[in-house]
Amino acid sequence: MIRNLTISAICLAVSLCLLSGISTAADTYKIGIVTPTLSASEDEFRGAVRTSEKHPGMIKHITLPDNFSEEQETAITQILGLGDDPEVKAIVICAGYSGILPAIQKIKEKRPEMLVITAPIWDDPDMMAKYVDLALDTDWVQRGISIPTKAQQMGARTFIHYSFPTHMAKEVLAKRRDMMKTTCGKLGMQFVEVTTPDPTTGAGPSPMLQFLQEDIPRQIARYGKDTAIFGTNCPMQDVIIAKALELKFIMPEQCCPTPTQGYPAAMELEITKEDAGNFDKINATIKEKAAAAGMTGRLSTWPVPVGYFFPEFSTELAIETIEGRTKDFDTAELKKTAKTVAGVDVAFNRMKPELDNYYLIIMDSIIY
Amino acid sequence: MNAPRQHIPQLVIALFLALMMGGAIWLKIPLSWVINDALVRLAMNGVLVLSLVPMLNAGIGINFGLPVAVVAGLLGMCLTVNWKMTGLTGFVAAVLMAAVIAVIFGSVFGRILNRVRGREEITATFIGFSFIPLTNFFWATAPFTNPAMLWPIGGKGMRPTIGLKSSFAKILNDFLPLEIGPFVIPCGLLLFFACSCLLVHLFFRSATGKAMQAVGENEGYARLCGIDIDWMRQLATILSTVIGAVGICVYAQSYGFIELYDAPMMLAFPAASALLIGGSIAGRTSVLNVIIGTFLFHTMYILSGPLANDLLVPEMAEIFRLLLTNGVILFAMLHAGGRNGKPCPAM
Repeated sequence: MIRNLTISAICLAVSLCLLSGISTAADTYKIGIVTPTLSASEDEFRGAVRTSEKHPGMIKHITLPDNFSEEQETAITQILGLGDDPEVKAIVICAGYSGILPAIQKIKEKRPEMLVITAPIWDDPDMMAKYVDLALDTDWVQRGISIPTKAQQMGARTFIHYSFPTHMAKEVLAKRRDMMKTTCGKLGMQFVEVTTPDPTTGAGPSPMLQFLQEDIPRQIARYGKDTAIFGTNCPMQDVIIAKALELKFIMPEQCCPTPTQGYPAAMELEITKEDAGNFDKINATIKEKAAAAGMTGRLSTWPVPVGYFFPEFSTELAIETIEGRTKDFDTAELKKTAKTVAGVDVAFNRMKPELDNYYLIIMDSIIY
Repeated sequence: MNAPRQHIPQLVIALFLALMMGGAIWLKIPLSWVINDALVRLAMNGVLVLSLVPMLNAGIGINFGLPVAVVAGLLGMCLTVNWKMTGLTGFVAAVLMAAVIAVIFGSVFGRILNRVRGREEITATFIGFSFIPLTNFFWATAPFTNPAMLWPIGGKGMRPTIGLKSSFAKILNDFLPLEIGPFVIPCGLLLFFACSCLLVHLFFRSATGKAMQAVGENEGYARLCGIDIDWMRQLATILSTVIGAVGICVYAQSYGFIELYDAPMMLAFPAASALLIGGSIAGRTSVLNVIIGTFLFHTMYILSGPLANDLLVPEMAEIFRLLLTNGVILFAMLHAGGRNGKPCPAM
């Protein structure tokens, strides 16, 4: 009798412990964030680190292999590892790679309730919309309208587009160039397309950068100071902004709009350890330097890098959904959260009219 | 018979340049722009091209490990920028520090190359390629403190590009500029390049220089003459590394930025192309080859861009320029016949 009672007591205690464990898991959950490594992309990595600091103990941050294209299997295994963790209730993938969708498909087969937000990955949009709860990306093509429009508002009469054959062979970039050309035509601005030496043809980016240094003064001598210059390649931005400070032309936006591209090197921004990542402070410093160079109103960008914004924004959306504060991702809801995270308005456009969970964003600009 | 044929690559490029120059005049592209830019580019890239000469003359081949030298130069510059040394003092300090670091790097590099005789060029290429990831790690973690050099978001590690405007950007370019009408001759920059060329030329006139050349031309004969082959080869590597490190300082001050991380990876290739176009032959490369090659190679870049854009055939120009440059390099290599090969009898 006593023996039976003891066994029952032990069983009861074990089940209570198990139950309490389950209930703890239901209260405390985790969100997995997947980003490239620091050396592959600083913005996404730091964005995830910042989110982890904002929600201590709640974020499981993993990084993909540096050499993603050659180690795709490792990347998929890492993401599946997140799906195997019962505490993880949502996965946010900010990677900007193609080939991650198979991992999401496998996770969704095993755990259909798992919330998956991609910001962005670059697989087939229709397939992504089927498996992913919410897909986000920058509206690259729409920038073909927004950039020349902003340039005109900043006083530009000519718009110069610097690029090279390898970039113009990419559909999205070629489409954006065409949109820029059409928009310039509509706005009565002259559109000038200049091809630079190709940085992918063996000698690296240095011939391209040397060409830019020599060609920008020629173009400004030809078209005057009210010219907006846009370059499609990241290393170009240092030279374009440095030359803008010297020759006083307009720089409406970089290829990847952020205060941390081009500005820090061209303006030699001194950002102390305490101010690192503080975008209000970084933007204020740029504004000051622009004013000192007599360039107020002639330099612009997005106030926060998209790569830095996406991890935090997506995590906030995941938290709201898991905690039942929001049920579906409608644009009003997205805009509200985006404004809280970015501090400026963010526009959301559907990738395709029929897809209600794939949005492309454009952020409001800051003009220094 | 051989001499005029030897100059075919230079003649082909010069002819192409003359054609482009004609095109530029026809399209009303001001000649002053082309000449001003060509002079800057000659001196800006010339020292890097010059750095290949000692190793070529010592028979080690083209220094595809130039990134090693470049990293030494970058380190020297980063240290001076970190200590906020500006102006001429900053530049001189950067060059001196770069040279000291280059001596250390060069002696290790030379030792490795001495162990892989006959496969120096491919080994040097891989040393260059593997050295870059290692330095990437260093740049990301090095305890530099100048806030104008650190990542703007993380606040630790070096930015990929560091502006030199407040340190020593264009210190040589703007030193003693001579303005003649629309032409601006960067005397300071050209003088620095000329001095570097003169020093290398004088070195190869000295006994050590001649011994080095003897090693490059005939190792067996040099050994019989009592020359320490390994030391000569190591000295050539150290010299090349030091000149390369100084070269990147000249390049960076003219460009206005220090470029870290992967930027030095491909720098050896345009330098090697320029030298081959200049008519370099292993064991007998002179300073004149450097000047002619750098001038032809870079002036081609200067002219092809604006010309192609004005003619609205940008893609064609890029293809044509690459075809011609690489074709001429191949021709130059065939003509040289490799270190142990014979020049083609038909040539």
